[in-house]
Parts: sequence; structure tokens; C-alpha cells
Amino acid sequence: MTVTQDLEIWTLVVNASIVVKLVMALLLAVSFMSWLFIFSKLFAIRRARAQTETFEREFWSGNDLNSLYQGAVNNRHTIGSQERIFEAGFREFAKLRSQRGTDVTTMVDGARRAMRATYQREMDHLERHLAFLASTGSVSPYVGLFGTVWGIMHAFRGLANVQQATLAQVAPGIAEALVATAIGLFAAIPAVVAYNRYSHDIDRLAIRFESFMEEFSNILQRQAGR
Amino acid sequence: MAEALAPQFEHYEPSFVPSAALAMAVHLLLAAILVFGVRWQWRPLESVMVELWEPSPPVAEAPRIEPPAEPRPAPKPEPVVEPPKPDIAVTAPPPKAVVKPKPEPRPEPRPAALPREDVQKRLREELAREQQAMSTAREKQDFKARLEGEQAAAAKKSMDIYAGRIRGKIRGNIVTPPDVKGNPEAIFDVIQLPTGEVLSVKLRKSSGHRAYDEAVERAILKSSPLPRPDKPELFMRTLELRFRPLDP
Repeated sequence: MTVTQDLEIWTLVVNASIVVKLVMALLLAVSFMSWLFIFSKLFAIRRARAQTETFEREFWSGNDLNSLYQGAVNNRHTIGSQERIFEAGFREFAKLRSQRGTDVTTMVDGARRAMRATYQREMDHLERHLAFLASTGSVSPYVGLFGTVWGIMHAFRGLANVQQATLAQVAPGIAEALVATAIGLFAAIPAVVAYNRYSHDIDRLAIRFESFMEEFSNILQRQAGR
Repeated sequence: MAEALAPQFEHYEPSFVPSAALAMAVHLLLAAILVFGVRWQWRPLESVMVELWEPSPPVAEAPRIEPPAEPRPAPKPEPVVEPPKPDIAVTAPPPKAVVKPKPEPRPEPRPAALPREDVQKRLREELAREQQAMSTAREKQDFKARLEGEQAAAAKKSMDIYAGRIRGKIRGNIVTPPDVKGNPEAIFDVIQLPTGEVLSVKLRKSSGHRAYDEAVERAILKSSPLPRPDKPELFMRTLELRFRPLDP
């Protein structure tokens, strides 16, 4: 083991053993991915919330359901999750109503099932990558710790060969090993924070969708009874 | 017909590129903080060893006594030393004058006696003067000696402190073997550099106990660099160090 006199971060990384280097590379990649998802999720959730608010305002402003449905079908690539749920439920409802002889309960149930299916799909999309953030948050400290333990083992093995052991002989090895833990924590902490924050945001959105589904079912039932 | 529209998986994700750019920026920021923000160790710091010594306060007083003592003896000894010489020079010719008349006692013995009385008188005067001069010289010499003694005492004091520091530092490093009997003395000749670095350690007189000799030698080498004196003139290249296992 070389005893480096100047402890610069780059020398530390370069002098690390191959296992520690691999761990660092893995952690850097994981960290990059987790930050990528943090930002993309941040934008996606913000957008979903804004779209939901816009649609709710539109929906409760007393517009005609048919015109709302037509607008949703026309812009189907840019509409938000709630509008998609509305679109699916209303389409199913309209389809069932066009068939003669279906009673009100069947119509409403069918619309509800369609909405539930779209809701599940939308939730799945919103929650995508959250699992990655969760596992990054829980696993990357351990991966970093593994790199550190390996590096310290390496440092102490080098120490065993010398007659007079000084701190200067182990310090660089331990420092370079600790870089792995630092990277692991750097990846983990934002991932955990983002995971908690985003799952909370998504839960709130889900509650909003579900209550919308219930209210819309009531509206459909009233419409079917007429 | 409507079934074809049902599943909608295409989700518009406009945020991928900005997210990647932001993630990159975050990592570059971290790298910058690590490289420039953290003060990494550039060169090893020299270790500093501090020793505390009991008699260090008097050292500050010792030089204060000296400066007034030094200028005074300097002008005085010169006149003291010089006068006796002329005295001797003056007394020297008269014997010559005495001797000179002696070779010619044949023509006139009386003139020889008269000068002799004169000479005796003169001699007596000379003697008195000389004695006086000698007594003043002795006084001055005494004074000088006393001054020198004081000076020497001060020098000895700081020398003692210096020696004590050396001994103390070495003593702290001696690991006395447990089986040393009695209080044998080991004498070492140590040659040191002006920086206090120990150049060589030679055993001059063994204590009779080999392990103790070796322990002391190791301690001396371990104590390098030795403490340096307060005044550079006290520095000695070769030191004679005596150690006894039971020394305090």
C-alpha cells in the first residue's frame, strides 16, 4: 500500500482497490439515477397536481358532461390522470346507456369498474420509479459500507507487513475507504427524503382521485335515473 | 370501435432531459464541493512536542543580573593589570644601579654605601608602593573574581537547567530493566549537532549492568533531538551524561 502524503480526493479514488472502485462506480451510477428520478418525479407530480386542479375547476364549474368528454377525447395525449378517469367512466357509461335494457345499477357499476381500472393504471404510472428511490435509500448505505469495510481491511492488511505501525500508514487507506460510504450516503439521503415526500404527494392525489370517482358515480347515477 | 381507444399507456414525459441535466448538475456540484470545498491535507504537519519544566522561570531572571555585571569589569581590569608592570620596570633599573657601583668598589667604598642606603630607602618606598598597588590590585582582582564568580554561577545555573532538561528528556525515555541491583553509574559521551540531533552515543563507563546501559543508550537515541539551551553559547557538541538507575 502506498502512503500518499497529500490526501486529495482524486488520489484517494485512484489509489483505492478494485473492489472499492467498483463500489464507488456503482454508487455513482445509482446516485445519478436516483437524482434523475427525483427530478423527473418532481416535475411529473407537480404537473399531475396542476392538471388535476385545472380539471376539477372545469368539472365543478357546471359544464356539460358531453362537452367535457369531447374535450378529453380530443386532447387525450396531454390530459391529466383525473381527466382520463373521467373519460373512461363516461365512455363506459355512455356505451351502457346506448344499449337498451340495462338498469341504473349496472350502468353505474360498469362505469365505476372502468374508472377503477384507469385509476389503477394512472397510479401505477405515478408511482413508477418510486420503488427505485426506496431501494436506493435503503440499500446504498450498505453498499457504501461494504466498500468501506473492504477498503479498511485492505489498509490493515498493508499495516500488518510493517514493523512500526503509524497512523500515517492507515489513514490514507481508511480515508479512501470512507469515500465509498460518503457516496453511498450521498445517494441514499436524498432518495429517502424524496421517496417519503413523493409517496405522500401521490397518496394525496390518490385520495383526490378516489373521492372524484365516488362523486362522479353519484352524478352518473342521477343522470341514469333521468 | 370504442374499445380501440380504451387502453392508454402513452404518457407524455417532457421532463426527462431537464431532469437528467439537473441530476448532472447536482453531481458536479458535489464533486466541486469535495474537491475545492473540503480542505484536504496537502502536506503532513510537523508534530509538536511540548515539555514543561519546573525551573524555567528563573532562567528569565538570570540574564538580567549579567548585563550590569559585564560592562563594569571590562574597563577596570585593564588599568589594574598594567600598573604593576611599569612598577617592576621601574624597580628593575635600580638593582642595576646597585650592581653597577659594585664592580668599582676599589676606588671608593663609601660612595657605594651611600647609594646603598639610598637604594634601600628607595627600595622600601618601592616596596610600600608595590604592596599598596598589590593590595589594590588584589582588591580589584577579588572584585573581579567575585564578579566572575557571580557570572560563572549564573552560567552554571543556566547550564544546570540545560543539563537538567537534557537529562529529564532522556530520563523520560529510559525504561529501567527490573533486575538492576544497587545504583551503578553509567557514563555516556554524546555528540550532538547544533540542532540537538544526536550524532553518536558512546558508552564511556559501563554501569556493570548491560541491560541498563543499553536502555540508557536507547533512551538517548530516542530523545534526539535533545533540548537546546536558552543561550546558544551554552551549547556543547560533546556531552558527558551520567545516569544512575535510582536517580530522582
